[in-house]
Amino acid sequence: MKERKVVDPEYLLKEAPREKKFLIGNEAVAEAVKRANVDIGVSYPITPQSEAMHLVGDIYAEGYLKDYYRAEHELGAMAAVAGAAMGGARTFTATSGPGTLRAFEMFPCWAGARLPIVCAFMCRGVNSPLTIQPDNIEIGWLMDTGMLIFHAENPQEFFDMLLQAYVIAEQPDVHIPVGVCADGFFVTHTREIVEVTPEDEMLPPYDPSKSPCPTMDMETPPIRQIRDPFVMKSNYISYNAHASWQQEVRAAAERSRKHIAKYLGSSIEVTNPDAEILLMASGTAAAQARVAVERAQKDGIDAGLVKVKVIRPFPDKEIRELTENPKAILVPEHNIVGWLAREVMSRTDYTKVCGGPRVFGGMTMPPEVILSEIKNLARVI
Amino acid sequence: MRFDIRMSGLGGQGMVTAANILGSAAVKDGKHSIVIPFFGAEKRLAPTESYVRISSEEVYEKGEVTYPNVIMVFHEEVITKGKCYTMPFYEGLQQDGLLIINDSDEISLSERNTQSLKERNARIFYVPASQIALDVAGTELATNMAMLGALVGATDIVTFDSLEKAIAERFGERKFVASATTAALDDVLKRKYARAQELVEKNMEAVRVAAKSIKDS
Amino acid sequence: MIPKISPGFEDVLPVEYRELVQDGSYGRNLRIKDLGTFKESIEEHPLCAGCALSLSIRLIVASLPCPEDTIVVGTTGCNSILMPQLAIHNIHSLFGNQNAVASGLKRALKIRYPDKHKDVVVVAGDGGTADIGLSMTMHSWFRRENITTIMLDNEGYSNTGGQESSMTREGVVLYMAPLGKKYPKTRMFEIARESGCAYVAAVSPASPRRLEKMVRRAILVARAIGPTYVQIYCPCATNYKFSPSETLKRTKDDEQIREYMSSDAKELIERLGE
Repeated sequence: MKERKVVDPEYLLKEAPREKKFLIGNEAVAEAVKRANVDIGVSYPITPQSEAMHLVGDIYAEGYLKDYYRAEHELGAMAAVAGAAMGGARTFTATSGPGTLRAFEMFPCWAGARLPIVCAFMCRGVNSPLTIQPDNIEIGWLMDTGMLIFHAENPQEFFDMLLQAYVIAEQPDVHIPVGVCADGFFVTHTREIVEVTPEDEMLPPYDPSKSPCPTMDMETPPIRQIRDPFVMKSNYISYNAHASWQQEVRAAAERSRKHIAKYLGSSIEVTNPDAEILLMASGTAAAQARVAVERAQKDGIDAGLVKVKVIRPFPDKEIRELTENPKAILVPEHNIVGWLAREVMSRTDYTKVCGGPRVFGGMTMPPEVILSEIKNLARVI
Repeated sequence: MRFDIRMSGLGGQGMVTAANILGSAAVKDGKHSIVIPFFGAEKRLAPTESYVRISSEEVYEKGEVTYPNVIMVFHEEVITKGKCYTMPFYEGLQQDGLLIINDSDEISLSERNTQSLKERNARIFYVPASQIALDVAGTELATNMAMLGALVGATDIVTFDSLEKAIAERFGERKFVASATTAALDDVLKRKYARAQELVEKNMEAVRVAAKSIKDS
Repeated sequence: MIPKISPGFEDVLPVEYRELVQDGSYGRNLRIKDLGTFKESIEEHPLCAGCALSLSIRLIVASLPCPEDTIVVGTTGCNSILMPQLAIHNIHSLFGNQNAVASGLKRALKIRYPDKHKDVVVVAGDGGTADIGLSMTMHSWFRRENITTIMLDNEGYSNTGGQESSMTREGVVLYMAPLGKKYPKTRMFEIARESGCAYVAAVSPASPRRLEKMVRRAILVARAIGPTYVQIYCPCATNYKFSPSETLKRTKDDEQIREYMSSDAKELIERLGE
């Protein structure tokens, strides 16, 4: 194994010196995994994720991980990281669109088993017809799995969020999986400046003794887990066990808020919050929206932007407050269903919310398209 | 000055590599840059595009450059057979924009296209990039370098110094990741030269010759 | 791990836990012949009367060479109703993913306990192993994972009410095969052998000593060499509609005892005197 220095997570995330590199998103992922002191990586190829897990394979060969292999399919990969996490290892895996759906049964299972797995989702469209292009509809499905969901705008955020994800996921009062999502190609294959911490400094190893559930290694009592199989006995106790367990997983996500505040700073980023027209966007739609807002302001329109970084737990309080004053709210998205608009609408006066523009199927969302919607709104409010 | 560049060509001609080298050189010059290849399934000779945004200000936009001020056409079939993602090939070109086309002879455009480019006041440069690559670097795989040379000749977008550093970095020992198929082509290119330094020198020569041909024109 | 009770806490622990610590099978190298003389790690089951599967699990657990360092991975099915009552760490994840979970688990335990054998034993039904989980079963063998896979073959989906599985015999009428199963029983023994298992065995609970020998061999070979597979025939009285009192006779009549071992496995087994 590579000789490296274990450092304090807060130092690594906030104070460690940073070196500027010109990286694509998938390279930034491997750089994060390198510093995250991951034990086991499990891979399976799918565009646009593959290069990230190739590179994790390369750093495994260099001695940064202890084990790595290509699984039989995404369900096999997600099951293997579950097994490894139950055995007390820190794990990493990644997938995209159809792979996410192939593996989907595992995500609520990770959350229910309280496994602090970090998984990167390089979002892409799903079939049919066949597409490999960017489209983040899968986040809309992942939102209700019990996992924490972060959405990165660019390679820099992808790098930072992955490291933050490990630290937050493994807090004993959280201890649930984190999905770190980024829009395929627009982040995974886009090269820009990424500031990275020294590669010989890494997070402390995962400590499974802090897990709220026993590690499956026959080193911890109680040896006898459950007297009765609550899953199958149809009585009040068994129903209640399942119901309260689901509530506990959601409660764990709620308890993550203070750690998110500590390590991410905030779930949102706001420019010009008092604007008449407020845009709400996440991922690369936020990048395009930022350019559109700047141009709108130059044209004399009072516009602002709220970038949502954390989708689960959703920043309810912040969004409720921010949506009180603007006359109109525009939610541009890279998917057809408008999951972010749905989230925003359910937390404010929905008549003010205009879901769109939506670009899906792989196309780019030019800032000009958003700008023209802002101008349309400016005419009617 | 803000550059929004679209490179159109056929898979294997090095649009993705050219975009990465250009963006890297711009960053070395202290500018901001975002580089994105946009490909379908990776197939040689399939229509392929890549995009580079360069500015002295921070750049946020992702995805394809919809309204470029520079379009670089790596293969005539982009124009003659519509092998590109937009129709016509200059769709979205900004007013006073720049077109650099890899061909020794002028390609005859339809009256409508000629008129449209005229209305946009487009500056059009033809550069025999593949021929320069073959003559100077000894392989058509250096076409992309000659195209970069033409771009620098027309715009001074990056310095030769940074460009050379970016090329050396790209083909040096360190593994470079753009896509799996690009990595496979890298190995083919590296086999053509005995030493990495020779590869860099030949490529830079192709850049300089192409740049000069534009400056002189 | 062999648990001990902190002095002074004996009287506050549940009696069953105390008995497990004081009179259980951990670290004592007990065998099937010793059944009845110690506190078993599985004592009761909520399955049907005359269930050959539950009997098989009792015998498997009593055959483990090192129960104090064994983790059992199960899957959905009749076994998943019984497993939580096992006094051994056991995992239920999904239906069919048991061998993928076991692969990750075994690799994690190798990293965390490099100087200790932690036996990962998959115990799953025929549907989980040969139908829904077949790709993950086989790929764990292709990858030569150091895990033991035990299939409890009751020739159908019993937990869901008696549907045909690929392990059902040709011609048998069960739910979802209303005209009788149209193709023969899947040859999992041969599949395991050809997929890289170093040791493959078929047995039934009607031959408990043989079952014990095969389970022990499978686990010991998995530790040192590679994947192993044991197929245990355990017919379902409820869905095959025979009297619970006939279970053992039926099992005995139809059992097929087979064993394959690679030359490496054979050498190891001889050396260990197993």
